[in-house]
Amino acid sequence: MEESPLHPFELHNWIPISLGGLDISINKAVVIMWVVVSLVAVLMVMAGSARKLVPGKLQSMAEMMVDFIRGIIMDTMGKEGMRFFPLIATLFLFILFCNLIGLIPGSYTVTSQIVVTAVFACLVYGLSLIMGFLLHGVKFLGILVPPGTPAWLLPLMIPIELISQLARPISLAVRLFANMTAGHVILGVLFGLAISGGLLIGWLPFAFTIAMNGLEVGIAFIQAYIFTVLTCVYLGDAFHLHGHDEHAH
Amino acid sequence: MPPSQDPLYAGLGQAVRIGTDLLASLIVGGGLGWVADTYLFGSTPWGMVVGLVLGVVAGIRNAYRSAQQWPKT
Repeated sequence: MEESPLHPFELHNWIPISLGGLDISINKAVVIMWVVVSLVAVLMVMAGSARKLVPGKLQSMAEMMVDFIRGIIMDTMGKEGMRFFPLIATLFLFILFCNLIGLIPGSYTVTSQIVVTAVFACLVYGLSLIMGFLLHGVKFLGILVPPGTPAWLLPLMIPIELISQLARPISLAVRLFANMTAGHVILGVLFGLAISGGLLIGWLPFAFTIAMNGLEVGIAFIQAYIFTVLTCVYLGDAFHLHGHDEHAH
Repeated sequence: MPPSQDPLYAGLGQAVRIGTDLLASLIVGGGLGWVADTYLFGSTPWGMVVGLVLGVVAGIRNAYRSAQQWPKT
């Protein structure tokens, strides 16, 4: 009966595949990712195929979602940012659905694997670097020098700015991973208490499990939202060097 | 009001942001210092000490900067 609360995060290969020494086996996380991708695709295609003037339930949900993402992009990046809309909408919907599907008992939270979140973070940060160097050339290195820095502070400010730049992908990856993992560990511990407590006292942790599940739904939304916002902020920084404040409203 | 300007969402977003930003700067600072110590200069433990201090400074600076952009409610 005694199980580690970290047990649900272990992955076992279902179909071991090795490609030139590279382990690309199919496991639960991979299957859930396929499910999420096809779910998002089917839902969005179904919502988009009706195109009624007075939208039905699904269509208005999709419209709300698209409007929400559009609002985030316009707030943080301005109009130029709209060319990233497909990428950002995909990231948002994928992370949101991964987080939500993970809450179904017996399912798996893909975003509780740091590999997944780290790949997203590196993708976003790498894209912002490429964009910055393409748009500004070598001048993009000026992102390491905040405007209005006196010259004698430069030897101190450049390492600090370098660290805070490098911290961006790490904080993106760790935030999503840690929040999802911690939430599910708490759920696991509470549920373990409920089972080992028996009927007499076990209802109390069980009630907490239900409350925590509700809270986790909120966290799923907030984490997807903050990941999207920070993606926009980082890409926006690459767009307008030091000038993103005038677009902030 | 579009949901992206909802002060609740914006505030929650900021709150969630700051903690991890502090931690990540610390990890990066300490990590860079450790790498400099172990692989580049062999100056254990000074690189890590300096790196950690710089990491703390960078983290607090990040938190300060994102607090400056807090939505006015």
